[in-house]
Amino acid sequence: MAITRIVVKENYYRDSLQLMKISGEVKGLDGVLEAAVLMATSTNKEILSRLGFIDPQIDKSTDDDMLVAIRASDEESASRAMKAVEEMLIRGTGPSEFERAPDIDSALDMLPDANLALISVPGDHVREIAMRLLDRGVHLHVFSDHVSIEDEVAMKRYAAERGLLVLGPGAGTSIINGKAIAFANVVDKGPVGIVAAAGTGLQETSSLLDLIGIGTAYGLGVGGNDPKEQVGGIMTIESIKVLEGQPDVEVIALVSKPPSPTVQDEILNYVFERTRKKYAVAFIGGKDVRISSVHIDRVKQARTLHSEVLLLAKMLGDDHYERALRELNVDVEGIVERELSRLEKNQRYLRGLYTGGTLAYEAQVMLGDYMDDLYSNAPIRSTRPLVDPFKSERNTIVDLGEEEFTKGRAHPMIDPMVRRLRITDEADDPDVAVLLLDFVLGYGSHDDPVGALIEDIKEARRRAEEGGRYLSVISHIVGTRKDPQSYEGSLEKLRSAGIIHMPTNALAVLVAGAVASRGSLPLQGIYERFLEVGC
Amino acid sequence: MLSSTKLLGEELKVLNIGLEIFYRALKDQGIRVVHVEWSPSAKLEEELEEILDKLT
Repeated sequence: MAITRIVVKENYYRDSLQLMKISGEVKGLDGVLEAAVLMATSTNKEILSRLGFIDPQIDKSTDDDMLVAIRASDEESASRAMKAVEEMLIRGTGPSEFERAPDIDSALDMLPDANLALISVPGDHVREIAMRLLDRGVHLHVFSDHVSIEDEVAMKRYAAERGLLVLGPGAGTSIINGKAIAFANVVDKGPVGIVAAAGTGLQETSSLLDLIGIGTAYGLGVGGNDPKEQVGGIMTIESIKVLEGQPDVEVIALVSKPPSPTVQDEILNYVFERTRKKYAVAFIGGKDVRISSVHIDRVKQARTLHSEVLLLAKMLGDDHYERALRELNVDVEGIVERELSRLEKNQRYLRGLYTGGTLAYEAQVMLGDYMDDLYSNAPIRSTRPLVDPFKSERNTIVDLGEEEFTKGRAHPMIDPMVRRLRITDEADDPDVAVLLLDFVLGYGSHDDPVGALIEDIKEARRRAEEGGRYLSVISHIVGTRKDPQSYEGSLEKLRSAGIIHMPTNALAVLVAGAVASRGSLPLQGIYERFLEVGC
Repeated sequence: MLSSTKLLGEELKVLNIGLEIFYRALKDQGIRVVHVEWSPSAKLEEELEEILDKLT
């Protein structure tokens, strides 16, 4: 008979990554069947209930409390596990060789010429830390979410007056001097500079460029709010200024969801009037930008990240463009036909489970005009909102990085738990035809994003097979062969499990959409609209 | 503008405030980095100490 122990530690905080590590270590102890150590947020309570931990103590706990839940084969193992948790909470999980400082002043004493601070503390505390660092002349990359717009504007104005950059808040990715900051891929240095208000957009663009042999010198993530009306694109324009001044940057990519109309005008006017370099503009999901004949040779636009990369290659020369076309060329029709032939009649829905927000967004932009029953927890334009983000309807694109899934938990690029549970749910729905999955490699991400899910995918397919149907799985890896995780190893895991891998997210969306719609999607039309580059 | 060029094209020297995973990622790339200890409770203690200092 299994023993369950639940302990609530009131007003007790550790960050979600430390807790994920502790949970993993305790789960590996002898006699422990399940273990979860987490902050008592609503998302985490949902996870606990899915893991079979149901207790009134859990219901009563609040966001500021920590929950320790252990299921063990016997009393002794449960007690040993509890003791291990306590020890790890006191000791911490970081290795002792960390060069640590107790506060910012001491850190600046240790590193007086620090030129960048990477901030990932809870959003409410960011402004105070940021202002102190800006006063000391330090540029900032603010990874934290949940920073108020007022704080963001105050920090960015203050920084701009001092010639400093504030990348973020909510900046998942930057590449500075060829180095990966926060979630970023290892790419060669080269002639491209990227300004992105879309983290995974920067990762996809820089990784695809690397795949076709084009390097990125700088990728500046300005945070998703920067192009909104209230912030006014302050750091987008500051970043453009900085990249314009860099002799090693030849072409500049602007990657963003559509800015607010006035901000879009300001950014483009700046580009038209105040810059000299070449620009590839991808305001994904936005209306086409009017570019006058004076600037048309220098400023061009793309509708997806796929076509943005083709455009950048074209701007850098015919050799690059031809290689890009070769590398990104796949037999879309052949794959769709093969997958369709294996489906049962009732299977007609797509379930996209994304860890990359920009990729989930791109999927909606591409499919929105062609699927009238498309749902999402982060809906855009014609997409319908999910009533319950934890439950898919008809065709669904889920952004698992949204707040409802991450409150008190690590991002799904690091912690696969939420997606693992969701894959099982989707596979058990007999109407589902296709799972669409992204896997993001690079610094910051899980050690083995594909390996962390592969057994769940195989199990999901086994269950579907028992139900007499084939489950099509279409995937895309955002990554490079230089990333800390093995790109080839990840590909091999997918291939050996019969999972289809596409070289870009846009291609994966196209294939998945075509399969789910039973071939009724206008493949050629979508391809021309979203994946090709105009002259 | 002048100040920003000290970041781009210069050797990176980073203060990491928050998640330890980023310290390791920076270190693995050979970047000089100092991890700043931070937790809300530590901040509260700091504030408490400051208040106590004023009282004594």
